[in-house]
Order: sequence, then structure tokens, then C-alpha cells
Amino acid sequence: MRVHRNLQRLGALGLSLALGWWLWQGVTISPFQGITGPAARYIHGTARDTGAANVVAAILFDYRGFDTLGEASVIYTTVCGVALLFAKRRYRRSSHGLSFIVKRGMALLVPFILLYASSIIVMGHLSPGGGFQGGAVMATVTVLFCVIYGSSFEAARVSPKVKETIESSGALLFTAIGLIGLVTGGAFLTNSAAGFPRGMMGHLVSGGTIPLLNIAVGMKVGAGLSTLFYSMVKILEDPTESSPPEV
Amino acid sequence: MLPISYGTAIVVFCIGLYTILSKRNLFKTVIGLSLMEGGVLMLITSSGYVPGGVPALLPFAGGEPVNPLPHSFTLTAIVIGAADVALALAFIIKIHRRYGTVDIDKIRGLRG
Repeated sequence: MRVHRNLQRLGALGLSLALGWWLWQGVTISPFQGITGPAARYIHGTARDTGAANVVAAILFDYRGFDTLGEASVIYTTVCGVALLFAKRRYRRSSHGLSFIVKRGMALLVPFILLYASSIIVMGHLSPGGGFQGGAVMATVTVLFCVIYGSSFEAARVSPKVKETIESSGALLFTAIGLIGLVTGGAFLTNSAAGFPRGMMGHLVSGGTIPLLNIAVGMKVGAGLSTLFYSMVKILEDPTESSPPEV
Repeated sequence: MLPISYGTAIVVFCIGLYTILSKRNLFKTVIGLSLMEGGVLMLITSSGYVPGGVPALLPFAGGEPVNPLPHSFTLTAIVIGAADVALALAFIIKIHRRYGTVDIDKIRGLRG
């Protein structure tokens, strides 16, 4: 058994090294000839088409907005899957959390974390950032709450139902903004062609639908990741359920 | 610098592959999966590099911007990677509650 195991490990090592060597042989750096293809069009057209300063946000929420809707649905599907796996369990008890000092420190920190997350979401069309990144920062508040105060405190403060509602309304907001483009005679998720003001580039109110879509995605990602973490941790923290069955 | 960046991506990818192939603990398999994903993301991001490029934020101060398309693809891939890691961990928690172990050999042995 031992020899067999070592052989297997050696085979895995050899396979990985061979694949790495093979990939490394394929690396060729061609001299830079300028950006071509769709990227060139996005770079030159962002200021004219959308009015946003961040080209990556313009690609995500304007040129390829429909992809982003699908991407946000992936998170929704995962939340549904995890909630389904851990469904129909009512857990009342949880750990008592960490010490008093840590709890007070956390309480001082929470407003600043939320402020930082909101600024990342709202300024997504001006600077690096956006709904996905800001939503992930916002979800860390839930993680900290569950670790420091225990998961039942987290559930008592912000009920899981509220989070699910926020997440669903984020998805609905995204789709509704897309449908406005359809109503005005353009395509789904049309931005400035549907009459959304482009504004002055570099100002907070600019970019047409991009800030709104950022907020929708931020709601969705923040609430979705919080729900994911909470539904996993409520299982682990329950003392009666954590011991595995005898086999 | 670009070959070093590609090389790093390849090394991280291969470490992830070795982890998946050799480890029997399911949690370590998931770690390998996310390492492989990290390697691929590094490769995608560095493929958008432009010599002397500036960040793709308008107005481009002092030079040509880097290619913004790989950045937005990477964002998509990060979200999907996080989603599948979360789902995999949920399944592993379920397996641990059912069998009492996360060693894949022992789980196979239990089945007989």
C-alpha cells in the first residue's frame, strides 16, 4: 500500500513537471504591435459611447453587460445550491465569540468597512473597483461578525431573509435597467443610446447606466456572499450536529 | 519581464495540478483547484500587458493603456471560481457529515 502510494505520488509529480515543461516551451513573446481587435475599439470608444473613466467597467457593464448579467446569475445559482444542501435546519445555538476587547474593536471598525465598500461600488466607473469588488468587501463584515460574535448574533442583526431580498432585488434592478433600453427601441442593456445621460467624464454622475448597474451588482454580490458564508458556518457552529455519525 | 510572469503562472498551475493528483484529502483537492484557477488568471492578466503601458483609466496620462479586455475576462473568471469553490466546500461538508471523514480512499473503502 505504501509503495503503491509513493508510486502514485511520483507519477503525479512527473506528469505535472512534464506538463509544465511542455507549456513553458510554448511561451513565445511576439514583439508588441499595438492593441488590435475589439479592445482597440473599446479603448477609443469608451469616452464617446459611455462617458465612464474606467475602461474595464465600461466593458463589463456596457459593451458586455449581458455577460455580466449571466455572471451575476452564477453567484445566485451557487447561493441556491448551498442553501438547498443545508436547508431545513434550524440552529439556535452558536459559539459565544471572542473576547470583549475584540468585540468592541470590531464595533468601531464596521462603519469604516461599510464606507469603504460603498465607495468602491459607487466610484466603480471612475477608479479601479466596482460592484463585484465592493460587494466582496461588504461581505467581509458578515465573516467578521460570524467569527467575532457568533453566527446567531449575525442572524439576529441582519436576518437571512433580508439578505435574500437584497440579492433578488439587485438582480431585478439589473434586469429592469436592461429592459429600459429595450423599451426605448434599442437593444437590451443599451446605455447612452437609450437616453441615459453620459455626464461629464470623471464626475460622480456620469457613465449613464454603469453606476446603477454597479450598485445592482454590489447588492447582489454582497448579499450573496454573506448568505453563502452564513449558511456554511451555521452548520459548523452547532455543537449537537458537528460530531460525525459513527461508521 | 513577461516570460517571468508567464513562468510564474505555469508553475502555480502545475503545483495545483500536482495537489489535485496526489492528495487524498478533499479539502486539499479544493485548494489545488483554486491554485490552478489562480495560475490561469495570472496568465490571462499578463497576456494584456503592454510595454510601458498605463492603467486603463481615462484620460490616459503618459502613454498607451494596457489591454483592458483580459482584465474584464479575469473578473468574470474570479467570480465563477469563487462560486465553484464555495459549492465544492458545501459538498465536502455534506460528505463529512455522512461518512465522518474527508479522505477519499476511506470513503471508497466504506462503499466496499
